[in-house]
Amino acid sequence: MKYAMIHDMEKCIGCQGCTIACRSENAIPDGYFRLKVKMDGPHGEFPNLNFNYVRHSCEMCEHTPCVTVCPTHASFMDENGIVDINANLCVGCLYCVVACPYNARYVNPKTNVPDKCNFCKHTHLKQYGEPACVAVCPTDALIFGDLDDPLSPIFSYLANKPFVTNKPHLGTKPKLFVVPNKKGGIKL
Amino acid sequence: MCARGGSGVNQLFDPNRLVNPIMRTGEKGDGKWKEISWEEAYNYIVQKLSVIKEKYGAKSVAFASKSGPEQTFLNQFAYAYGSPNIFDHGNTCPSGYSVALTSVFGNGSISRDFSNCKFMLNFGHNVYEGMVISYARGVTQALEKGAKLISLDPRFSVLSSKASEWIPIRPGGDTAFMMAMVHTLIFEELYDKKFVEKYTIGFEKLKESVKNYTPEAMAKEYDISAERIRELTRECAKYAPHSMVDFGHRATFSPEEIEFRRAIAIANALLGNIETKGGLYFPKSPALYNKLAGEHVAPEFKGSILPKLEIPQEPRIDLIDIKDGEFSKISKTRGIYSKVFKAILEEKPYAIKGLFITRSNPVMTVNDSNEVVEALKKLDLFISVDVYVSDTSQYADIILPESTYLERDEQFLAKNGKNPGYEVRQKAVEPIGNTKPSWQIYLELAKKMGYESAFPYTDIEDFRIKQGYNYPNEMFKLKEKGMSSYGIPLLARDKESIKKFVEKYPNSKANLDSDREFSEVLKCKTKSGKIELFDEALEKACGRGGLTYNNPKLKNEDEFYFIQGKVAVHTNGHTMNIPWLNTLMSDNAVWINQKVADKLKLKKGDKIKITSKVGSQIASVLPTIGIREDTLFAYFGFGHTSKKQDIAYNKGMSASHLLENTISPVAGNNVHTIGVKIEKV
Ligand code: SF4
Ligand code: SF4
Repeated sequence: MKYAMIHDMEKCIGCQGCTIACRSENAIPDGYFRLKVKMDGPHGEFPNLNFNYVRHSCEMCEHTPCVTVCPTHASFMDENGIVDINANLCVGCLYCVVACPYNARYVNPKTNVPDKCNFCKHTHLKQYGEPACVAVCPTDALIFGDLDDPLSPIFSYLANKPFVTNKPHLGTKPKLFVVPNKKGGIKL
Repeated sequence: MCARGGSGVNQLFDPNRLVNPIMRTGEKGDGKWKEISWEEAYNYIVQKLSVIKEKYGAKSVAFASKSGPEQTFLNQFAYAYGSPNIFDHGNTCPSGYSVALTSVFGNGSISRDFSNCKFMLNFGHNVYEGMVISYARGVTQALEKGAKLISLDPRFSVLSSKASEWIPIRPGGDTAFMMAMVHTLIFEELYDKKFVEKYTIGFEKLKESVKNYTPEAMAKEYDISAERIRELTRECAKYAPHSMVDFGHRATFSPEEIEFRRAIAIANALLGNIETKGGLYFPKSPALYNKLAGEHVAPEFKGSILPKLEIPQEPRIDLIDIKDGEFSKISKTRGIYSKVFKAILEEKPYAIKGLFITRSNPVMTVNDSNEVVEALKKLDLFISVDVYVSDTSQYADIILPESTYLERDEQFLAKNGKNPGYEVRQKAVEPIGNTKPSWQIYLELAKKMGYESAFPYTDIEDFRIKQGYNYPNEMFKLKEKGMSSYGIPLLARDKESIKKFVEKYPNSKANLDSDREFSEVLKCKTKSGKIELFDEALEKACGRGGLTYNNPKLKNEDEFYFIQGKVAVHTNGHTMNIPWLNTLMSDNAVWINQKVADKLKLKKGDKIKITSKVGSQIASVLPTIGIREDTLFAYFGFGHTSKKQDIAYNKGMSASHLLENTISPVAGNNVHTIGVKIEKV
């Protein structure tokens, strides 16, 4: 199994339903985020404008700088392609936080261990088969699935829509795919 | 689910919420309270209500709530007490369109089939920010299927960003736009003749009333060329009946609200989109659905089990009870809320001495907040049922703590769409502290006042059982799922839908008319029973039978239009103090056009003083290219004045402090646009 997610910017309305669902599901301390959506814009020439709705969260890279730099194997990729952290092995060197080119990790002020999105691996995903953010999105802008399974909804979606990944030049091969706005350009 | 729903837990455990009744111990508004028992609170209220009734009559206490299930209990209590003065938030929010729809269709609640629409005109109905999830989903689905969406809005909203075209129309210009559109539909003969013939009356009189409103004559009012409106109208008609003009939601952009919303309702009728895919449709109640089907498909629960009390005979303060009068289209449970505060201050048409409210925050929502505060301070008795010490509750004598939506059970509510259904709210956790739900508060209070016969239930479970007495299984299923729906969707003029319905319920064939449509569904509750393109009652009352264009002058030459809207992460004025939501947005910076900001040397975050004829506010600015040069925009519901809402206190600016307490003709709305001047501070 290889879990992946699509964020369809065309459908996203920046409502933060996902952001709040994530907080609630993962007990994120106040002031920190595993996930947020940023409205960026408007761009363009009046009145032909557009907003971008940019998701910030772990991109679930295939080639993971955060795992590579981790001296204790606390950061690891599990059998389903989810990049995760084993708090027991973490020595708090914070190399991973620095290494992540997507700024996806924060340090939990209580435990001093880095934390980030893990597709709600132990909670919502386990119980309902999808992360909490995907479950709440009012416009179905988030699609979750298995890249190894041709019947997974994520498959046909990627076949029918143009998509990009963030910072492709870094070669991290994210498993968070972004369907850009048709209107106007996409700035990532 | 939206961010607000997702934050329910955060509200549940908020240390700032009320968990016991409290009584004011200091001057009104100075924030000194003591906790008391429910018993003490009830005794105080009962005693005060009795004294006021004796001295000034029951009519001198007004009752108000937000619309919703709580309203049933509050209103019953008010009528039992003997006051005709019951209100909801209508005049500060949706009454414009419901009055317009009532005028044209005889019914204020008509639904929009967003998801099947192929061409939509939208005037600032911000479904992606002032969120109703089903609307947001519907519009998204339509767009995915390739629908064309035109957003006419002075500012670039999230909806505008998803639209095929954003037209930055001049604030208040939409009324003129709609006049021109109706004119074009009629005089270019783009309207659905067969539909107009069969289902409407008053066409000729309507035609006469709009004959001078050519696109050319109107164009100068809304900054869009006459040719463009002709094109848009033709395109809209080309997709008819699968096209619509959205009648909006929280509205009232101008005092000409009623003409604007009626013109929209009429345009839809002219497009013949009623009961078709992608158009408007009437909610199908179980009774109507069963009748059409010719068999018993859906259970018919009782809406309310409370005995119907006669409306107290005294005249209301807002005049909506004058038969066929100017305001007579406003619902009797709705009223013109903002008149309460004038009546308190001016004691006209008679004095209001007491106010009893449930989850209502007029200091944030009624125009001219200073006047509201002054009025609240003048009251002999002010009781508020609330979750927090809100901007309004801070002036109360007693605040009764209500359970939040996660802690309370409610009665079964109808949820009728294309087919009938019900929904029910059930508590997820036991109430925290000594909070109580409305059904219990008013039941207990009624008992103390000796009105138990008006409240014949022991608890909400008993209430529910009485609602669905004849359908034990259906009740059981509904409670298990929280929602139920019966039958299949029906659009009474859509061939495909009719075919499926008739196949499923063969008896229904007998109910088809000669055009093979269920015209029964289009029998309106208007006087004529038809869709009324010309309103005889309004014509007599105030000469507004057809459509009339009166220039809604909203500002002076040297002023900006000040407009406002909702944001996705907050519910009107009452979620700003919820920590998670406050983190997402704690301030409402005022949008100003980048070019204008440059001219005035205003940078992002600079403070300005905004002044209208009613008041002034300090705000920070957000220069953006997404707004007209003559317009300022802010999200509303900010600028809280209650210190008990510590994290929201004094953050951002409050639009209600700038707006004038106007009462617009017919619809009785507070107008949400005003001319303002700004200066850097
Ligand atoms: S919930 Fe969906 S629409 Fe809302 S911000 Fe998240 S991804 Fe976008
Ligand atoms: S986004 Fe950052 S944290 Fe997530 S897998 Fe990639 S490098 Fe690691």
